[in-house]
Order: sequence, then structure tokens, then C-alpha cells
Amino acid sequence: MTGAEVLVPNVVSPLVVSIYKPAIVVGLLTGFIALLGIAFKKGDLTALILTDLVGLAMLVIVAAVATDLAEALVLPGLVVELAEILAIGEILMSREMRKTEKPVGLIPLPLSLDMEILDTAPAFLAIILVVHGCFLTGFTGGAVAGVGILFYVLSKTIRGVPTHIWEGIAGISGMAWVLWLVGFLLFFVAPQYWLLGLFLSACGIMVKVASKVGLIGVMGREEFKREK
Amino acid sequence: MLDIYVWFYTGCALMILGSIATVIGPGVKDPVIRTLNTEVAAVGVSMIFLTYNHTIALLTFVASTLIITMILLRAIVRLEEMEAKV
Repeated sequence: MTGAEVLVPNVVSPLVVSIYKPAIVVGLLTGFIALLGIAFKKGDLTALILTDLVGLAMLVIVAAVATDLAEALVLPGLVVELAEILAIGEILMSREMRKTEKPVGLIPLPLSLDMEILDTAPAFLAIILVVHGCFLTGFTGGAVAGVGILFYVLSKTIRGVPTHIWEGIAGISGMAWVLWLVGFLLFFVAPQYWLLGLFLSACGIMVKVASKVGLIGVMGREEFKREK
Repeated sequence: MLDIYVWFYTGCALMILGSIATVIGPGVKDPVIRTLNTEVAAVGVSMIFLTYNHTIALLTFVASTLIITMILLRAIVRLEEMEAKV
């Protein structure tokens, strides 16, 4: 990296610059090992697990950039990795389900947990989490509110969830996207209203992230329909 | 205090060891063991994040690793319940 010193700004600490090269090498090496594994091992499930490993290698390469830029890039990287694993796993399972035509539960549990508390507690806890998430706004608030929705769904699946809720969540997600775009447009078109733009974007991203986490329920929609 | 390089190079070593263990480690024919082996590499990534002071990234990473492990275990258990050949 002899020519790279020119591009490194002064704010980057020399420590970070000194460990940049080993970090990149480790990231590339891990990614290479994982991809070799995917190439040589047989089986879809193996490939799914090794995809997780490739994601980890990607995170190290992003982290090697250091400073706040890396922090800002790692968060979307994590979300993308999560969505990727979830989507591939879901596709794999539905394909096998079609092949073997054997009905299995949405969430494999060794016990039948049909308890009274699953009927009363989730609504209360979900409301607290969603209200707190709305108060926080932004990415963090979205994650908190999303956990509330997810908790509600996972507790209720044992007794059955009405499917039309998920259609509504998908619709709200679209509106949040518009809020976010309008917020960003305001920054450029009318910079004097920056506070309004900031709040529009923050609320938009909050609803967006919350519904993304909540959308896991949409994947199980066909199973909800089949069971109840 | 320990030198900061100790954390970084421990993370690097754990990451490479973990990835090798996931691909050709002992007993990886069982998908559950293979999934648990990825946790070794995940601890390595956490240590590298720690070296760089990526606090929020580290917190989110710990949470998302947990969720990914749950997703993978759910996929494994469901596929075994279906008696699929994967």
C-alpha cells in the first residue's frame, strides 16, 4: 500500500492505517475459504451456512475502512446479510416442502406451548415496545418497534394470526418510503426547513425498518392460511 | 492494559480458524455443528470491531448473529422434519 498514503486523510489514526492491510487480507482469506467450501461441498444447507461465513468476511473488509464511515456501512451490511440468509432459507424450505409434500410447523417447537399467557401478554409488551420505538424514531426506534411486532407475531402464531394484518403492514411500508423521499427532497429544495425534513426522514425510516422486521410474518402467510 | 494489537490479531486468528473449522472441521457432516462453528468466526469479527471502536456496529452485530443462528437452526430442524435430502 505504498501509493495509498496520499489518499488517507489526516483524521484517520496511524493505528488504523497500520492494521488496514492485515484486516483486508484476513477478510479476503476468510471469504476465499468459505467460497471454496461452497464450491466443493455438496448440499444446499451447507451452502446456506457457508453464505453466513461469506457475510462475516464482507463485514471485516468494511470494518477495515474504520472511522464513522465504516460504522455507517456496517449497519446496512448486517441488514442485507440477515435478509439474504432469511430469503435463501425460506426458498430452500418451501422448495423441499413442495418436493416432499409433508406439512411441518412454522416454528418447530418440541412442546405444544398453548398457554393462556401467550394470549394476554404479547399485546401489552408489543404496545410498550412500539410506543417506545415511535418515541425514539430513526433506525434504532424502527428496530425496537419491529421487535415488538415480531414478538407479537411469534407469540400469536401458535394460536393463529389474522392474515389481513400483513397486507396492511406492507401498505404502511410504502407510505413510509414516500415520507423518507419527501424528507430528503426537502433538504435540497428548501434547506431552511431542514428540521421538518429531518423529522420526515426519521419517521419514515422508523416505519420502514419496523415493517421490514415485521415482514417476516408475510413469509409465513401461506402457512397461516393453511393452518387457520 | 493489554496491547490493542492483541485484540486485533486474536480476532484475525479466530476468524481464519473458525472459517476453516466451518468448512472442514471435525463432525461438520451434522449441520448443527457446522452452524455452531460459524460462531467462532463471529467472535473473531466482534473482536475486530472492538479494535476499531465500532460500538453501535458491534451491538447490532451481536443481535443479528443471534437472529441468523436462530434462522439457520429453524431451517435445519424444519428440513430434518421434512426428511429432505440436503
